[in-house]
Parts: sequence; C-alpha cells; structure tokens
Amino acid sequence: MAGPLSKYAFINAKLRARISKIVPDEKFSQLEKAPSIDEALALLRDTAFAGLEEVYSATGDLRQAELGLLKSEIELYRDIRQRLHQNSVELVDALLTEFEIENLKNAIRVYFDRKIRNRSAGTGIHYILYDRIIHQIPIDIILNADSFDEIAGVCEGTPYSQIVKKYCHTVESEGSLFRMEIAFDHYYYSNLLSAINKLDRNDRSIALRLAGVQIDLQNINWIIRLKNFYDLPLEAVLATIVPGGFNLDAAIIEELYGVQNVASVLGGFVKGKYPGLSALLASATSDSTSRLLLIRRVLEEVMKHEVQRILLGNPFTIGIVLAYFMLKKNELERIRTVLNTKFYGKQTPAD
Amino acid sequence: MIFTTEMIQLFAVVLGRDSEPVTEALLGEGVMQFIDVSEFEFEGPENLPTVEPQASLAEISELRRRIEGFLHTGGVIPAAPRETDLKNRVPVDFEKEKDHLDGITSERQGIRERQRTIQQEILKLEDIRRQAELYGMGLSDVALSAKHSFISMQIGKLPASNVKKFEEALREFASLSVPLGQEDDMAHCLLISIRRDNARINSILEKLGWTKVELPGELRSVKKDVFKEISAKLTKLTEEQKALEAKVNDLVKKEEKHLKEVWVNLRVNELFCRIQTHFKSSSRTVVFTGWLPSSKKERLTEKIRKASQGRCYLEWNEAGSKDAIGNEVPVQFNNPKALAPFQMLVSNFGIPEYGTIDPTPFVMPLYLAMFGVMFADLGQGLILATLGIVSACLFKKEPKKKGLYHLSWLIIWCGASSMVFGALFGSFFGTGLFRPLWFDFHGIISGHSSHSSMINDVYDILSITIYFGIFVIALGLLFNWINLIRGGKWTELFFDKGGIFGAWIYGGGIYIASYMIAHNYKNLPDGTTLFLLVGLPCLLLFIKEPYHYFTHAAEHPGRKPNLLFAFLNFLMEWIVELLEIFSGYLSNTLSFMRVAGLGIAHVCLMISFFTLANMTSGIGSILILILGNILVIGLEGLSAGIQALRLSYYEFFTKFFHGTGKLYTPISLNSEL
Repeated sequence: MAGPLSKYAFINAKLRARISKIVPDEKFSQLEKAPSIDEALALLRDTAFAGLEEVYSATGDLRQAELGLLKSEIELYRDIRQRLHQNSVELVDALLTEFEIENLKNAIRVYFDRKIRNRSAGTGIHYILYDRIIHQIPIDIILNADSFDEIAGVCEGTPYSQIVKKYCHTVESEGSLFRMEIAFDHYYYSNLLSAINKLDRNDRSIALRLAGVQIDLQNINWIIRLKNFYDLPLEAVLATIVPGGFNLDAAIIEELYGVQNVASVLGGFVKGKYPGLSALLASATSDSTSRLLLIRRVLEEVMKHEVQRILLGNPFTIGIVLAYFMLKKNELERIRTVLNTKFYGKQTPAD
Repeated sequence: MIFTTEMIQLFAVVLGRDSEPVTEALLGEGVMQFIDVSEFEFEGPENLPTVEPQASLAEISELRRRIEGFLHTGGVIPAAPRETDLKNRVPVDFEKEKDHLDGITSERQGIRERQRTIQQEILKLEDIRRQAELYGMGLSDVALSAKHSFISMQIGKLPASNVKKFEEALREFASLSVPLGQEDDMAHCLLISIRRDNARINSILEKLGWTKVELPGELRSVKKDVFKEISAKLTKLTEEQKALEAKVNDLVKKEEKHLKEVWVNLRVNELFCRIQTHFKSSSRTVVFTGWLPSSKKERLTEKIRKASQGRCYLEWNEAGSKDAIGNEVPVQFNNPKALAPFQMLVSNFGIPEYGTIDPTPFVMPLYLAMFGVMFADLGQGLILATLGIVSACLFKKEPKKKGLYHLSWLIIWCGASSMVFGALFGSFFGTGLFRPLWFDFHGIISGHSSHSSMINDVYDILSITIYFGIFVIALGLLFNWINLIRGGKWTELFFDKGGIFGAWIYGGGIYIASYMIAHNYKNLPDGTTLFLLVGLPCLLLFIKEPYHYFTHAAEHPGRKPNLLFAFLNFLMEWIVELLEIFSGYLSNTLSFMRVAGLGIAHVCLMISFFTLANMTSGIGSILILILGNILVIGLEGLSAGIQALRLSYYEFFTKFFHGTGKLYTPISLNSEL
C-alpha cells in the first residue's frame, strides 16, 4: 500500500509551484482599475490567461473567451487527475461532475425555454460544451429534444436520467426548473461525499472538512436566491439544504433564515474556530438580504481560512490538491467577475 | 563598495513662487527620496499645510493609466520621459484628452459590437455544419435528407420585396438561406435551419408569404453544394472578423504618436505633482526634506540655488544626527555593474540596514567558489556560460525582464567558475583530457588518482570544504562585529551569538577538534586550556541575561523583582543559549561538507554515464554521453546553484545580515510606474 509520501510528494511539489503562479491580488487591483475590457485583457498578457485576449480580440465575444476558460479549467482537473494516485482519482471525478452538471443544466435550460416557455433557443446554445466530461451525454439531442422523456432516454446509463424522470412533471407543472436543479446539486454533493468516504482516514477528514465548508457556502447561496427571488417558506428552504455542512447545520440555517442578529447565531462557531473573523460579524446589517450576504462573506472567509490551514499543514495529504482546486476556482471566479463588469461597463464591487 | 552608499538628509525652505522651478530641478536630478509628510508632521514645523499641486495627482494618474492601457492593448509600451520632456512640460487639457479617448473607445466599442454580431453568425453556421457532420447528413445533394438529423431544409419562394425582411427575421436562428434565383417577382430560396426552431420559423415564413415549392425546372440544374456554401460563408465572415480585428489594432497605431506624447507629458506632470505632495507650505514659503547620496549634495545644492535664484535655505544633516527627520535612512547599493547578479541574490534575501556591510562583493567569490567545486568541469562550464550569453542577449533589450537578464549573467559567471575549477581538477566533459592544475578530483573518486598531490582521498576533499566553511563563518562573524561596532551596540558585540564570546567558543571548538584529530581522536587538550577555550566564554555568557534584566529594571523602578524566579530564568536562558551556540556552529560548519558531497555526486554521475557508454558502442555510446552531459548540466547545475545559495543565505548571511533596510527609491524621470 502506498504511503502518503509516495502518493503526494510529487503532486505537492508541483501544485505548490503552480500556486505561486496564481494571479496575485495586486494584479486584480490593476484589473479593477482598467478603464475597459480591452485594457483589462491586456493586463492579463503575462499570466496564464493570455489566451482570453486572443479570443476576445478575434471575436469581440467575452462569452466565447469564457467558454475557453471553462474548458481549460476542466483540463486542469484532468491534468491533475492523471498525476494522482489511484485512490484519489475518484474524488477528482466527483469534482469534475460539477462541470458536467452545470453543462447539463445549461442544456436543459435551453430545452426548457424553447419547449415549456416557447422562447427562442437564444445565443446560450453556442456556449455549451459538447465534449464528454465524465459521462457520454448527447447534448445536441437534449438541445433539440421534444420532451423530457427524450432527455431522460438519452441520459440513460448516467445518474441524471432518474433525476430528470423524477422531476420532469414538477418542472412542467410549476413552470420552473428549480427543483430539478436542486436535485442535481444534491446528487453532486452526495456523490462527492461518497467519493470522500472512500479515501484514507487522514485524507477523508481533511476532504470532509473542506467539502463541508463548500456545502455551507452552497446552502447559503441557495438561501439567498430563495429569499430574494422566490420568498419561499422556511420548510421549503430546509428541504433544499444539502446535508453535510461543516459549520451550518439545519438548526443553524433555520435560525439564520429569520433572525435579525447574525452575530448571535454565527458567533458560536466563528469565535471558537475562526476568532480572526469575529470583526466581520460586527458589521451592521439592516435587512435580511444584507444579513445573508454577510453570512456568505463570513463563509467565504472561512473557506480561505481552511485553504490556508491546509497549505500550512501536512503537505502529504489530499488537502493540497483540494486547496489548489479551491484557489484556482476562486481565481477564475474573480477573473470572470472582473471581466464581466468591464464588459458590461459596471463598477467592480469592492472586496 | 563594502558599505552601503553614504546618505545625507536635505531640509530645504524655498519661496512659494520658486516652488515650480525647484520641483523641476528636483525631478531633473532625480536623486531625492522624500520623507513622508506624516513623519514630517511630528518633528518638523508645526501645522503647515501640504502643498496642493495645480492639477489633482489622482486625475493625472488616472488619465495616464488610461492612455497607457490603451497603448498597451496595441503592444505599445511608452518609454520613460527624458530631460527635454521635463523642459517642454505643458499643462494637460484633461477634458480634451478625455473626450479624445472616449471617442476612440467608443469607436473601438463599435467595432467590437460588429465583431460580436459576426461571431454570432459564425457560431450559428458552425452549429449547422457541426450538426450536419455529426449526424452524417450528405449535404452535397439537397435532395438527400437524413432521418436522424436535426437539420431542416426547405425550398420555397416569397415576394422579392420581402427578401430583406426574411433575412432579418431569420437572424435570430441558426439558419442559412441560399438564393436560388428569381422568377417574375418571386425569389426562390433554399432555407436550412435547425428542426427545433421549425415552429417559430414557419410562423415567420407564413407572414412573409413563403410558399414551399419543388425546385423549378429551369433552376433544377443549379446544384448547390450546401456544405461548400456554408464553408464559403464562414470564410467570408472569418475574413471580415480578421479585418475588424486589424481595424482595432490600426486604431491604436493611428493614435500612437499623439497618445505617446500626451502620456509623456502626463507622466512628467504626475512625477512633478508627486514631488509636490511632499512639500509643506506656509504663507510664502515651501518646506521639504528627504534623503540623497552624499556624493550628489553639491550638484543638487547648485541646482536648487539656480532654480530659486539663491532664495533658499538648505540644511544638510548626516544620517544618525539628532537633527535628521525620521529614523529610517534609505539604502543604496554601491556596487559595480558586474556585481549586479550577486546584488540580486543579496536583495532577494533582504536589504542591508543603512551603514552596515553590503555582502555583495563577498558573495561573488564565495558563491562562485562553492559552485565551482560542486560543478567543476571545463566543457560543461563552457556550455553553461554559452547558454548564459545567449540568454543575456535575448533579455538585454527587455527592461521588464531585468531579473532574467541578471540571472543570465549569473549563469555566465557560474559557467566561468566551472571552467576554472574544471581546469584545476582536470575535468573536461568528465574526461581527464588534460593534467589537473591542482588535484585530480575524478581520479580520487574513481580510485585511480595518478597525480601526486597533497589531496589524495575523499577525506582530504571534505576537509577542504570544512576549512572553507570555517573561513566563511569567521568572515560572517567579523562582519557582525564591524556592524555592531559601527552601530555602537557594545552589549551585543560581546553577548550576541555571533559576538565575541560566541566566536571565542567557536574558535575554541575548532582548536579542540584539530587537537583531537592530530592525536588520533585519543587525547583532549589539558583542563586549563579547555577551560580557557570554552569554559570561560561560556561562564561569561551567563552575565548576559542578568545584565539585560537589571538594565530594564532600572528603566522601570516601580517593578518588584522576584529574584528566585529571575535566577531560574537566567539559568534556563543561559543553557538554551549555550545549546544553540554549540549545535548551531557545529551544524553550520558541517553544512559546508555538502559542497564536497555535490562535487563527488557530479563526478560519480559522469563516471556512471561513461560506464554505461562503455557497455555499448558506436552511436549509442555517443548518445549516452551526450544525454548524460545534458542531464548533468541541467540537474547538477541547478542543484549546485541552489546549494551555494543556501549556504550563502543560511550559514553566512545569518551571522551578520538582518535584511531589514529600506531600498533607496528617489523620484526621478525613470521612476517605476
């Protein structure tokens, strides 16, 4: 049986070298100050994102450039996957499933707009990935499908077929994809947790902790969406909650949904586990949305804290791989946000 | 060269009306590192307001950055302003330049918008083509249809007057209309679209008077190859895209000259304002202060006097004098250009404190000596030096890659050192092609040294590196004492780990070790000698903690000392300190054995490749030797470089170098952005 040193020595050295190539905060400050998208892209010339400018200059289409970014992100996972020990490969596959699910959701949204809402397929159709990520899913057929049965049929042999079959009637009756998409997310996290449970004990505890923080963030994002766009009752909200959170369990979420004083609820775990973040809780919040945004901010900081904790801890664990993915994900999200704000001519939100 | 450049502080008062020419003189000279206004506030004249430059610095910087960003998109990097640009400085018409930039930006946006539209067209056509390719539809003949295709094709006619509306309406969908000709007032068309859009397309077609028809007899001969049609249309659109891309680039090129001029003017104004933000003013005068190298004092005095026509008060304060404002004196390295690569290594570790020893001139010989011993080969050194020269030539003209340029020079130096040591050890690509000038390293390692020398076995080689290590550590200790004496830190001079008592113990230890070696590890020096060499300095070090304790107690007379607790504390601190001194110096010295170790590894690797090559013959043998040399140059070169750096940083620098200095960065026309 391979020991942690032989499993992670190479990938640890490689990823630490790659972490040093992550776009630094100063560059993001420069990007935020760039007067337009062209200037912002020019600033990325000496980084790994130089290709974005090439695509944008040739097409004037930022979404096209973003599609390239998404492809390279998937390639990144695949690249690391092939350098990992057999025991950890399943975890990377589980992480890759997130991309597959997002792509499938996009394809189903096109079908939904076209067939259920009787709208044009729109330009979104050009920004979907047609290549295989994990499972062989004929995206073309989904885009051109006549019914959910046809979609479930072509997804046969993948875990998504059952989800589509189970929720298609709800989607049609409610006129919303909401429940189906929640079900996809639930599948992603249950699959991720099951992959984590197959890891060695040490790796498992690290991965569970990080995945738990990610689930907390996902839950809070859903709650923000549900509160702002749907104003659902608490019971419906609790039904959407993904189990396996690290800091926020159903009881805390129930409390958070209605409570006025966020600090009193979050204070328990923040003061105990992340005393450095206590100051954040002191921020004044006037309405429920601000409170939820504050919670998200706290959780984002918790995620950063956890990643730093991994980077400073034992280098020969799955933690380095997960921390790298998190850092890359954060970097890509920041790049996307800043470029989109430049593209649509808005002010970049202050960090 | 051994110490950092001597700095001097200028405190100046000039009349308000002279502030502009004085600022110009200061920028032209570019030697002043101004002291921050906040530092100034506490120690300088009270309640003086800061000078408000004519134009807002933020406004200038923003416009300058905007122009820079625009030029950058066209790959144009403006050069730093020159002295003539300073003389020709004119106020910038912000509104005019902003309008101008807005105009260009909006023109560029328009082009990008057009690009986006074309791109959508391309994507739609590619969608049709992809679907056709994927589902095996033979589009070379329109009569063919594929059962499982998502492509829908229909031929029809519509009033010619509706053709434009027809094309407009279909733009929303992935579709292609191929005109087939006109018959009376009716236009015939082949329409290719995606089946999913049929319902919506058909409703549009109905409104436009579309009638499905069989291919008219007279047009039946027109066999359109639809696939080719799509490709042709795609090619046309792609060319259009390229033309638009070139148009954006031309936009930058067209404006380059004007924008560069404005940029230079803005940059000069920006630097001008930046200097003035360090000024403080009273009703009629302006006050400023900052550091500059002492050697520039005369010239700057002359320039300020000339600019203010003698109406100025200049006060010069030496670093460390009680009248000097602020505690931190900036540090300027004072090394010849040839030492730049080694200065890079030093500044990578830290900037020396002002007035202390700059180790750069010593790092050069020490680093090269260590590298040379670890990687001694005339041929491989030659290759390394050649690679360094090529890389230096590549990076010479790229100011942004200064670091890589210095690194290239470091490689050249390392290559040269390898060549020298290769000649000393008689190694040329691992062969003993010529007689070694010093000793036969290869021969000793492989066990057939044929040349008589003082160095006969591996232990002798290890001893050389130990002696070298002792020399390096002793040099570090000496530098520490010099720094401490110059800084007047007398307590540290005696009690510091690298102070006199620490060095005494180290020296004693070396003597004892040599004595034992000379007596076959059987005898130690007599008790008195041992006490004098190690015991006495150890006991003297016990004074350190009580001395600190009682000195601080004198500063806090109200505090009641717990003497028992204090004594136990002194004892503990003393034991820990002694342990640190003994283990530290021992490990520091032995650490230098890695130099021999790497050198031995280098020879062993070459021997291995020769053994492998001897097992084959002909081209195989040559290939093994070539690949072996490449591997050795790459891997051994890298590890020798890293180990030499590690020894410099951790065994040498830690003895005397704190790296807490602040680099001298004056405001000049060449100031970095």
